[in-house]
Amino acid sequence: MTSSNNFQWRRDRDGLGVWEHRGKVAVVGYGHSPVDRRWDGVNLDTSLGAYTIMACEKAMEQAGVTIDQVDGIVCCDSHIAGGSGGSASNWAPRPYFDPPYDSEYGITLINAQWLINAMGFKNVRFAPTGVPTIGEMMGMASQAVGDGVCNTCLVIYPTGNLEGRYRRGGENADDFARGARQWTVPWGNHGGNDFINIFPHNQYCLKYGGEHDDLAPFVINQHKNGMLTLWGFNYNHGIEPISVEDYKTSRYILNPLRIWDCDRPVNASAAYLFTTAERAQDMKSQPVYVLNHSQHNFRFRTTQPDLDEVEMWTDRQAARMYEGAGLGPADVDIFNPYDGYSIMTQFFLEGFQWHGVKRGDAFAFYAGDISVKGPHPFFSSGGNLGNGRTRSAMYTDSIEQLRGTAGDRQVTVRAETALCAFTTPSSGGWLMLGKYQS
Amino acid sequence: MTTLISFDIDGTLEVGDPPGCITLDMVRAAKASGCIIGSCSDRTVSNQQRIWETAGIAMEFTVLKHQLDAVKEQFPAEDYYHIGDTDLDRQYAERNGFHFLLPDVDVVQLWENGN
Amino acid sequence: MPKVIPVPDELSQPFWDAVNERRLVLQNCAACDKLQYPPQAACQVCGSADGLEWKEVEGKGHVATYIVIEDGRLNRRMPDQPYNLALVTLDQDPTVNFYSNLPGVPAYQAPVGAAVELTFEEVAPGQLIHEWRVAQ
Repeated sequence: MTSSNNFQWRRDRDGLGVWEHRGKVAVVGYGHSPVDRRWDGVNLDTSLGAYTIMACEKAMEQAGVTIDQVDGIVCCDSHIAGGSGGSASNWAPRPYFDPPYDSEYGITLINAQWLINAMGFKNVRFAPTGVPTIGEMMGMASQAVGDGVCNTCLVIYPTGNLEGRYRRGGENADDFARGARQWTVPWGNHGGNDFINIFPHNQYCLKYGGEHDDLAPFVINQHKNGMLTLWGFNYNHGIEPISVEDYKTSRYILNPLRIWDCDRPVNASAAYLFTTAERAQDMKSQPVYVLNHSQHNFRFRTTQPDLDEVEMWTDRQAARMYEGAGLGPADVDIFNPYDGYSIMTQFFLEGFQWHGVKRGDAFAFYAGDISVKGPHPFFSSGGNLGNGRTRSAMYTDSIEQLRGTAGDRQVTVRAETALCAFTTPSSGGWLMLGKYQS
Repeated sequence: MTTLISFDIDGTLEVGDPPGCITLDMVRAAKASGCIIGSCSDRTVSNQQRIWETAGIAMEFTVLKHQLDAVKEQFPAEDYYHIGDTDLDRQYAERNGFHFLLPDVDVVQLWENGN
Repeated sequence: MPKVIPVPDELSQPFWDAVNERRLVLQNCAACDKLQYPPQAACQVCGSADGLEWKEVEGKGHVATYIVIEDGRLNRRMPDQPYNLALVTLDQDPTVNFYSNLPGVPAYQAPVGAAVELTFEEVAPGQLIHEWRVAQ
């Protein structure tokens, strides 16, 4: 096992130049478990552990890779409810189950060691601990394969959600605010990307002259794309597309943030298989190539990031990605940024200037044709809003679009490069994929 | 004496996600006893209406969770109840002059006692 | 309902001590002459820890924008919903900002762009927090 406390692998600085392994690493498989709203606490076949095993098996099966051939596992041992999840976070103090479900691992958490034991991997030589979220994991695996640390690497992102209300309890039930919370919680901000992004979003509307509900076409389009994603939550659970009226009459969470601006926490797992471009030629799936990866972790300069900071951060993210991939905005065909809250997506769209969208242009762009069959198939995955908070739709859709296997979501424009991410304006990571190595 | 009962769906009704302890038969019984009944949920109105159509229960109202004020305005009654499973249900109920009930054994008892 | 009570730590103790004396003091880097809030172990501009000193600032600011918390997750504040959460910039250095519930301003009626001045609110016996009210 390797600790990931060494962050030298990250590409998290400006001006790093073209990635040294550009086109030499490939994604050769992916797998999704079913996406449930929550685990019922009873059926171990639908537990986070069982779903993670299922996702790994599908990813390996797609590429024709056996367990013995996997020598790298990058798995995030956090879970979706987060540090303030309170009663939603942990299974304990309820009694555990028979092995391998005899601890939090397999139920609310997954890590590489649990998977090695549960699935019987024998030849893993790269299994870092303390791995961050999928936004960085995809880059970490790409770099590890490129550097030769491992040759065939599974990336696994489990997103657990137990019965109970997300973010209820825990620190949020405390009468006291400790640590960083002393600067936010006394006034009502309990943390999260909804709070972080709603203020810059308001400033955006003031600066560029839009209204919050100008997000409606984007949110509705995410739901439409989600209904075309056969593995996603919305498609499989009868979630009906919403109308403009549904959106505009929905209740507020953090006014002006509406309930439909927020993604839906789910219980699911996704896996991706990375290998060298050379080895990928012998596998049964069509490879897509990693053209660059990039990470960022910008520090807040004060209590609350403002629009200027968010725009500066996303400009720098774009510059890093484009430089490392040797590409520019006009070269990107598929664009799957992040939409855990709809209010942050315009910052990415404009920062990366996809389809020529500049600062202040996003709402007008949303009002145009952004459908997958149109000229500007923005966010063809449907993202979290259309599929549940798996944080993986952006990656899977990008792979499928480049392979030409996206089914009813397949875009009609060129699909040779794709940008995908799990990121917020301040932290996360991006991945640039290509249909071709160069 | 007219009583109005508003039902949350998810976590409250047996057809909710997660399922709650209020059965559709209990909803039917409330209607049969002369109560004004409806649903009040974060689900879209069209989705709520589809649930009731499928169940074959004619509801007097189907509104969003923050619209209990409109229900009270539209339907005169002596007593207003909202049954829901979250703190937010309680907030909206109390803010709009509804008695708030959690979907638990005590509520089920009310039906069993014929109240 | 009362607000959630901040728990000072070693780094923040001088800040909260000052607040309890109805003063607003921020870290200031002597080398950069840059104010810093919330407090950090080192200057976020130059990285120096030695040059940080506490400096009292004038309690004047402006409302940059605001939201209304209608469905928050803090148990202690749920009975207050809906309530304003404003972003206040400090006039002395507008890159420094604070949260405020704008006491006295009804929900949904926060005056964006308005001048505000420092006030203090007791959240527990002997524990104040800094707040901002619309300037008269």
